[in-house]
Amino acid sequence: MDFALQLIFAGISVGAVYALIAVGLSLTFLVSRVINFGQGSLLMLTAMVMVALLGRGSAMLSAALGALGLAAILMVVVEWVAVRPVAAGQRTDTMGWVVSTLGIGILLQGFAAKFFGSQAVAFPSILFSSNDFVSLFGVRLSLQYLAVLALAVALVLLLELILRRTQWGRAVRAVAHDPELASLMAIPVRRTMLVCFVLSGLLAGVAGLLVAQIAGTVDPGFGFNLMVLGFVAAVVGGMGNTFGALAGGITLGVLEKLVGGYVSTAAEHGIAFAVLMAILAVRPQGLFGRSELLKA
Amino acid sequence: MLSRPWLALLAALAFGVAMSFGSGSALQVATFFLINVLLAHSVNLLTGYAGQISLGHAGFFGVGAYACALLTRDYGLPLPLALAAAMALASVVGYLLSFPAGRVKEFYLAMMTLGFGMIFYEVAKEWTALTGGMMGLSGVPSPSLRTLAVFGMAVGPVAYLWIVLAIVVVVTVLLHNLIRSHFGRAYCAVHVSELAAGSVGISEAATKRSAYTLSAALAGLAGGCYAPLVAYLGPDSFALSRSVEALAMTIIGGLGSLPGQVLGAALLTYLPERLQIFAEYQFMAYGAILAVFFLVLPKGLAGMFAAPPRFAKTHAVVSLEPTPIRVPHSSGEGPLLRVENITMNFAGLRALDEVSLQLERGRVLALVGPNGSGKSTLINVISGVYRPSAGRVVFKGEDIAGRKAHEVSRRGIIRTFQDPRNILHFTVRENVLLGAHRLYRHGFLGAVCNSRAALREEAVFLRRVDEMLDLGGLAELGDRVLGELPYGTQRLAEVARAAVSDPELILLDEPAAGLSDAELEKLAAMIRRLRERDLGIVLVEHHMDFLNDVVDGVVVLDSGKLIYRGDMDGMRRDPEVTAAYLGVADEESVRA
Amino acid sequence: MMRNLSPFASLLSMAAVGVLALAGVAHAQGTIKIGMTSALTGPYNEFGEGNRRGVELAIEKWNKAGGINGQKIELAMLLDDQLVPDRAVQNMRRILDNKELVGIIGPAGSGPTLAVIDMAVADGRPYMNPTAQTPSIVYPQGTDKAPRKNVFSFALQNDVETNVLGTYVAKRFKKIGILHESTAYGTTAVGLIRKEIKKDANLEPVGVESYNQRAQDMTAQLAKLQRDGADVVVCVGLGADLAVIRRNMSRLNFAVPLIGTNGALSLPYQEGAGELVLGTKGTMVGSFGQEPMNAAAKEFADAYRAKYGTDRWWGNDPARPQVFLALSGANAYDAANVLFEGIRRAKSSDAQKIIQAIESIKSLQGVNAQYTFTAQRHHGIGEDGIGVFEYTKVGDKIRLGLSKD
Repeated sequence: MDFALQLIFAGISVGAVYALIAVGLSLTFLVSRVINFGQGSLLMLTAMVMVALLGRGSAMLSAALGALGLAAILMVVVEWVAVRPVAAGQRTDTMGWVVSTLGIGILLQGFAAKFFGSQAVAFPSILFSSNDFVSLFGVRLSLQYLAVLALAVALVLLLELILRRTQWGRAVRAVAHDPELASLMAIPVRRTMLVCFVLSGLLAGVAGLLVAQIAGTVDPGFGFNLMVLGFVAAVVGGMGNTFGALAGGITLGVLEKLVGGYVSTAAEHGIAFAVLMAILAVRPQGLFGRSELLKA
Repeated sequence: MLSRPWLALLAALAFGVAMSFGSGSALQVATFFLINVLLAHSVNLLTGYAGQISLGHAGFFGVGAYACALLTRDYGLPLPLALAAAMALASVVGYLLSFPAGRVKEFYLAMMTLGFGMIFYEVAKEWTALTGGMMGLSGVPSPSLRTLAVFGMAVGPVAYLWIVLAIVVVVTVLLHNLIRSHFGRAYCAVHVSELAAGSVGISEAATKRSAYTLSAALAGLAGGCYAPLVAYLGPDSFALSRSVEALAMTIIGGLGSLPGQVLGAALLTYLPERLQIFAEYQFMAYGAILAVFFLVLPKGLAGMFAAPPRFAKTHAVVSLEPTPIRVPHSSGEGPLLRVENITMNFAGLRALDEVSLQLERGRVLALVGPNGSGKSTLINVISGVYRPSAGRVVFKGEDIAGRKAHEVSRRGIIRTFQDPRNILHFTVRENVLLGAHRLYRHGFLGAVCNSRAALREEAVFLRRVDEMLDLGGLAELGDRVLGELPYGTQRLAEVARAAVSDPELILLDEPAAGLSDAELEKLAAMIRRLRERDLGIVLVEHHMDFLNDVVDGVVVLDSGKLIYRGDMDGMRRDPEVTAAYLGVADEESVRA
Repeated sequence: MMRNLSPFASLLSMAAVGVLALAGVAHAQGTIKIGMTSALTGPYNEFGEGNRRGVELAIEKWNKAGGINGQKIELAMLLDDQLVPDRAVQNMRRILDNKELVGIIGPAGSGPTLAVIDMAVADGRPYMNPTAQTPSIVYPQGTDKAPRKNVFSFALQNDVETNVLGTYVAKRFKKIGILHESTAYGTTAVGLIRKEIKKDANLEPVGVESYNQRAQDMTAQLAKLQRDGADVVVCVGLGADLAVIRRNMSRLNFAVPLIGTNGALSLPYQEGAGELVLGTKGTMVGSFGQEPMNAAAKEFADAYRAKYGTDRWWGNDPARPQVFLALSGANAYDAANVLFEGIRRAKSSDAQKIIQAIESIKSLQGVNAQYTFTAQRHHGIGEDGIGVFEYTKVGDKIRLGLSKD
């Protein structure tokens, strides 16, 4: 029983991080229809920059904020390089964003490898250490994991609240629905998009910091797999559905761990994608997404 | 002066000759480049034409590579057969993937194909008995190791380059022909507008399946050529990065452009090599170039260096004297169309309520009513876009209610849309020719090889398109790209598209909206010509003067109910109709 | 504008590409030239960049002493493959095309090395493998069979490392759990460890689990080993992943010894796992752990510090390099030195003569080992050069030294 609970607990915590990444990805996708292939590098760079800032003697909090600020700025660049040129010629989409977001991802990786080195560097424990735990029903729950879980869930819920309750949230939904209509309704489409990109960058950055402190190290290759799993979580949960992303991420995380624990750890890696394909084949709109009606 | 195809062939030859005298390295990179061209063509077919984004092409590529490697190494199969088998196997995988993939779009599709690629990678890694797992598969007969022989003849790097070059030339020519056939137009149609595709008899599902199958076959062929080149296969060669790179090649080259694929493949093959001069910054340089590429060249390489692709074999007209083809109109019993008690509910809202009407051959029936009265819904029900909640649609004695749009269209019911649905990067002529889709009889092989029969058929339909363009006053605009032309032209083109399909029943949804007086004239001329052909026409319209000129009868809908059936004069005097119209905005006045 | 150009023109552009692709390379005369492809840039350049430094230090050393038989050495071709197999293949072809090169230094990982090795063997010039640990790179038919004729390895070969590791754990533990990365390196090592503990103590591991590199959570793997009652976790993988594993063990309260391959002694592991490294053991080339260092190791260390300073390859202690430098720099340094020694002895640039000369080398002191090659033995580092290291606490400092037991 302990065994199963351990797996489920780890799966939930890991899944919450997937959800955090997923929410960021789907936020930008909704308003721009662009998938940011550079998101993984952003996760990595935030963590690496934080380490670099700490190395220069910054305090923990200011280093974290500085790194997150950089992530936000980089997303503005992504919007500028990858989204604006696309938006100019929406009717004949050249899909240039695939190339430009990919390019930014590679550039950031190259930058990190050149200036911080490609060796993994130590990432400090921000919240608790890996020894800290609480016991619940006789199961040892890592405080680090609990903190990650709590923070990720809180952020996702906060975003959901903002999207539902604020003027800005309504603007996001309007732009997601139809940018042209939104601009007719005097919604500042560009600025709304930009804010979405910045938020997405912040979410990715936070996810990067959280995962890095669990792993203990970060290197330039870090982030890519997480991004892919974030994609999966977003799709499993249904694009653009914040709760769905949370549920999708956690489902994915728990499933991975259970398959790893009860079937084979070699299958753990493949299972996410098998699930992904199965869910899409049965429910093309994701587990919690609503189907987009064909516009006649 | 040599014609262009010969010039191009000469260029390919020159490339082969130049490379043959190059160093082993130049030869090898050239072969990598050619393989990348095949892979780019493959992605382009699926993503560029059929609009299905793929992040899993490494999977198809890998299937082909492992198949070719194992068959030549362990079973001693000659290379040509192994390549054929690689293609076949990959195409089966592509066909199977098309079923789940056909259900999803956009991001979801990208993720499903990504999932496919990742699963392939994990399988290649874990199925050690077959693929050698992470240790990989060595000892593939290879030209660079001088271990490859084809039918007893040793094949070195030079001969291998020529083999791959020949494959690339053949594939490029066949694709060129395919894209200009009704198959190619169908790919574009399902991409741009599934509704428009259905309305001219293109099955979305079947077209997507064929695109997947064909694209996978090409990627399998590329993989098959790759295996002997590198002599060693490890799973890392088929990871996500290859899929992404393949997609990047296609996009950089220019989606939908064949020369673009050659350019894109060239850039991504030779760029990393050339970037060695950046030494410690080359990885960053590569990323930076990709990042700003579309800022500098917003239309990709093809947009810069090549003409946009065309989608019809217009040369067929001059090369062949057409003999007309006619589709026999079976004259069934009773009226052409009988709509019986059609009811359509949308989530509690009743859009159509027990509507019945009928239409004889050679008659024009107007369908009028205020906005939201259910006119377009009725058209959508008849044309198969909606499945009615109750009732029957009997066409030539057969109940077609609930049939898919393309099935309805293939039976001879052709429609236009309230806002025109054309393919904006097609020329006017190509758009109109799309209407003839359901009439084409020549098959895939004929289309890719430009058989005489295929060209003749194309010529016949092009001739018919020209007639219709003349009638619609569009003759001079035939070669213009439709997206650049005014709204009225787009409407007329759509009506012309419906007209060339040789319909038995044509449903025109507000064809006159937004037309100038001159354009209205042309529209009326086209409609009259259609009526001469003894077919039925249903016309949704607000424009009463226009209706006066062309219709035989009128049906009025209000709030989903049929409130009047008869002639135009009777309608004007009908109190219920007047009430219905007075209840709504002035501009829709019945006396407009 | 090229209006209405037929798509056939696609083929036209090939001619242009052809012109682009045919560019020659000019070289200085009268030097001994070698070629190298490695992961020099990008996120996986840790070993590749270290190898480059090792080779350049070796060249500087020889040139300072007058070169080989009076001829200076030149790294005439240095290409970046970024650890991508296709790129390594293309680079290797360029290197092999250059007939002036007398020796080759291969890529910094098993994947790209496996992809290029057949080409290099078909060419026949001496090929030095600095990093790739998979034994089949040198011994494709098995380690007891003949080696590839021109391939010499300076890597810590899997079989050598796992023999030491296997023997060590077989003697001390009964319930052995194995955790490995799902790479060529990981999967071969596991097979060899199983064989070794079977041979030494007739044991089967209680569990064998795998993970993908850069996985950030290993709960499933470790919980399984914990449930299976493992009294030791034997780990085959990179340092950063080992740090994840060690931290994860602590979270699961899985308090059994962790014994790893060389990754356990890398800086990423030490820093990533922090205090938790105490008690972790790992197998490694002993060169920088011995007190005092051998002369060659000292010479290399001094030269490295003089040229590159005490950077991440060097480690945190300015006084002496981390033991891991043996595999991320010194290995390539030794590889180049042995190649040069072979050329010197052969007095020729003929491939056969150089290979024979290398095979005649007996007890040549290098940084990582006393190198002895024969026609049957083409790997440099044997079990005698390997030590089991352990992290211990001395005062309030963590120290890495040869294990006492």
